[in-house]
Amino acid sequence: MNAVTPILALRKATKKYAGVPAIEDVDFELLPGEVHAIVGENGAGKSTLTKVMVGVVGLSSGQMQIEGRDVNPRTPVEARELGVAMVFQETSLVPTMTVAQNLFLGQEHFFNRLRGIYIAAQQFMQSLQFDVAPTALVSRLGAAQKQMVEIARAVLHNAKVIIFDEPTASLTPEEKKYFFDLIANLKRRGVSVIFISHALEEALQVSDRITVLRDGKHVVTDQTRNFDRARIVQAMVGRDLSQTLYGQRKRNVRPQGARVLSVQNLRMAAMVKNNSLSVFAGQITGVFGLVGSGRTETFKVVAGIIKRDFMHGGEVLLKGKPVRYFVPASAVRDGIVYVTEDRKIEGFFETKSIADNIYLGLLAKLRGKRKLVSGVESASVGETWIKKLNIRAIGKDVKAIELSGGNQQKVVIAKSLIQEPELIIFDEPTRGVDVGAITEIHQLINRLADEGKAVVVISSYLPEIMALSDRILVQRMGKVVEEFSALDATEEKIMYAAIH
Amino acid sequence: MIDALRQWSDRLLGRGDAAITVPVFDGALKSNHLIEDAEVVAELDAPEDLASDGNSLWVADSARLLRFDAAGQRSEAQTFERSVSAIACLPDGGIAVALGGNEVRIVGGAHDGRGFDTANGRRLHAVNALACAPGDRLLASDGSKHEPPERWKHDLMQLGRSGRLLEFDLAGGTARERASGLAYAFGVCAGGDDAAWVCESWRHRVLQIGGTRDGHVVVDALPGYPSRISPAAGGGWWLTCFILRTQLVEFVLREPAFRKRMLEEVDPRYWVAPALSSGNTYLEPMQGAHLKTMGVVKPWAPPRSYGLVIRLDEDGMIRYSLHSRFDGKHHGIVAAVELGGWLYLLSKGRSRLLRLSVAGAQASLAS
Repeated sequence: MNAVTPILALRKATKKYAGVPAIEDVDFELLPGEVHAIVGENGAGKSTLTKVMVGVVGLSSGQMQIEGRDVNPRTPVEARELGVAMVFQETSLVPTMTVAQNLFLGQEHFFNRLRGIYIAAQQFMQSLQFDVAPTALVSRLGAAQKQMVEIARAVLHNAKVIIFDEPTASLTPEEKKYFFDLIANLKRRGVSVIFISHALEEALQVSDRITVLRDGKHVVTDQTRNFDRARIVQAMVGRDLSQTLYGQRKRNVRPQGARVLSVQNLRMAAMVKNNSLSVFAGQITGVFGLVGSGRTETFKVVAGIIKRDFMHGGEVLLKGKPVRYFVPASAVRDGIVYVTEDRKIEGFFETKSIADNIYLGLLAKLRGKRKLVSGVESASVGETWIKKLNIRAIGKDVKAIELSGGNQQKVVIAKSLIQEPELIIFDEPTRGVDVGAITEIHQLINRLADEGKAVVVISSYLPEIMALSDRILVQRMGKVVEEFSALDATEEKIMYAAIH
Repeated sequence: MIDALRQWSDRLLGRGDAAITVPVFDGALKSNHLIEDAEVVAELDAPEDLASDGNSLWVADSARLLRFDAAGQRSEAQTFERSVSAIACLPDGGIAVALGGNEVRIVGGAHDGRGFDTANGRRLHAVNALACAPGDRLLASDGSKHEPPERWKHDLMQLGRSGRLLEFDLAGGTARERASGLAYAFGVCAGGDDAAWVCESWRHRVLQIGGTRDGHVVVDALPGYPSRISPAAGGGWWLTCFILRTQLVEFVLREPAFRKRMLEEVDPRYWVAPALSSGNTYLEPMQGAHLKTMGVVKPWAPPRSYGLVIRLDEDGMIRYSLHSRFDGKHHGIVAAVELGGWLYLLSKGRSRLLRLSVAGAQASLAS
């Protein structure tokens, strides 16, 4: 297609985690001096693709080429030697060192003359037209200046390709403008840039070409001038695989019951900003938002897992009564359970049996009222819930770690349901779950709503939100910005609300 | 002592009663444009209240009582010496009118000429809603003992707690107080089982007085200040919210020193307070930023005035709602009456009588 040899190319790139492809048969080309934006939903495979490029993970199959040569970087250091560097969202600078020390970190000699380092750093930063003092401590720098140092470090290491992962997420509007100038400067120097962002405006503004990924597959690559917002969103969400997995969109929604939860003007650090929402009994409330939109944090505050702002943090009302939980156990006592998105760390004790894990849920609900732990009761509870939720295991004594992802998730759900909650918050309920278990978990969630429970489903996956929810709340930048009935929601509308 | 400490810490930390929070418009309260799109039936001078006798619609407009028949023909039924602050149609064909807020008079019907100006030895002061009750009784909400009906804003800014629910025995000519100390009583209706529902506006709730669940909060945590309530044809109720809560006003209500100075020094038209209409002058205070997504200003954008009618079921559960949002004009809805498949609304902010088809509204919300 291109007469010019791509500086970086991936051919039929596939990366599988435990047999599940994160990216599959992806073809990608980056031209010299090009700014190339990669966009896609959460889980579309953007991060995996870039991790492959910088040697954080290896390809399962396919090939990576630098300037036409086949390469296989196994570590970020190897990738850097090949001229590929990445500027991460969370900067990797050492905050207690100066700018100059950070720049030359890893290149020190046995004896170092600090003045020499400062002079070299000063000259180098000036050549890039970066206005950052080399003697400044990194911890004192603003987000944009830190990014400048990161970029300078990449250029200093002769990077021909610099990958930016969500570079503007923490920048102010003024800093963003400056950052875009930096990109233009890099381009002039012949450096190729890969730009990953959820902000489509920025992708349209800064890039020469755009590649859209969806469900781990390459959808389209085209010149930026041939794209508009609608075409990108359509390419990002239009899918058929999900339809077969999650079924058709809803034709009926459950009527709204009593208001169980009212979150009013909630604030939690920079993640949740004056967020307000309600959850009603007998309905599934789906909460969609891109990573960083504050969905999980909002509901973790509700469930007492993290704390809202100490002063003027807003209110959480459960059935009309203000509540403020210091520990999750208090929320459990009041009938709120949170089924975590990170089950391996927060969801269960991996070396305990299924029965013990579920029984621990009951003990948490009883809050010390059960003085002695009963093995008989534990076994009985285990057997009951294994049957109820169809947990596939040889027996109740199987350790949680030995189960498949789907069955582990069922254990986490059983542990929560044994606490007889009124409000159940599912955070990414089918992440890393096998296809068969997805249907079963969805049936379970529907059954809970049919029984009159208030159910919240937080998901980054639009088909899941569309298939489960009776009403859909969309969060962006720390607050709910849109509400849809499942009857009039479309994937395009939801995505549009999430990114505007 | 502990209460005082708690109050102090709440005030310091912005918690409890000092939390400056407002319930959100979502679920059944999700906003729409139905009131804004409603048909304009009549432009009025200073409308106050609506009532229906099942055939005609009665409108209190300043000191006049107007009648709109089924064909929409308007006629002036009667003129009083003072402005009418509330009306109710009685089952025997008479009409109860509240005059200037401090007198209730029966016009026509079996009790023609009967009047009430005191209850429990206290003079009526701000009667703002009337409703018939079984057994020849009339219920009334008396908003405040300090401020007349038109000075409701003053009562709000002084955190008035002197509202009353009154009951008049039309046959016996007696009056009694059924509840007092209400945070601005505005709106009343007869529930079953000898109960009355009364709107306690400044506490954003509807209370049941009497019956088996005396003191029960029927509707709580409303995002607006409730006003009149009237029966809906299919069972349940229409509840109007004449003004809306905003974080800015909630903040002002927790700042006594600021309010005191504002009351003393600023023209009430320009107070940082809710209003029945807005956008009339640049001197009005800004109410904060408006949140706009998908090209639409969000329903929870803080408006100075708003139009809101809520459909409740028999138990007080919110079924759906009708709105005129901050960018609309049909604000300050003080009364809603259903008649012949139409819902008639009184926009005091715009001085208009509006109507919309109930079936049409339901279809629009379901689509």
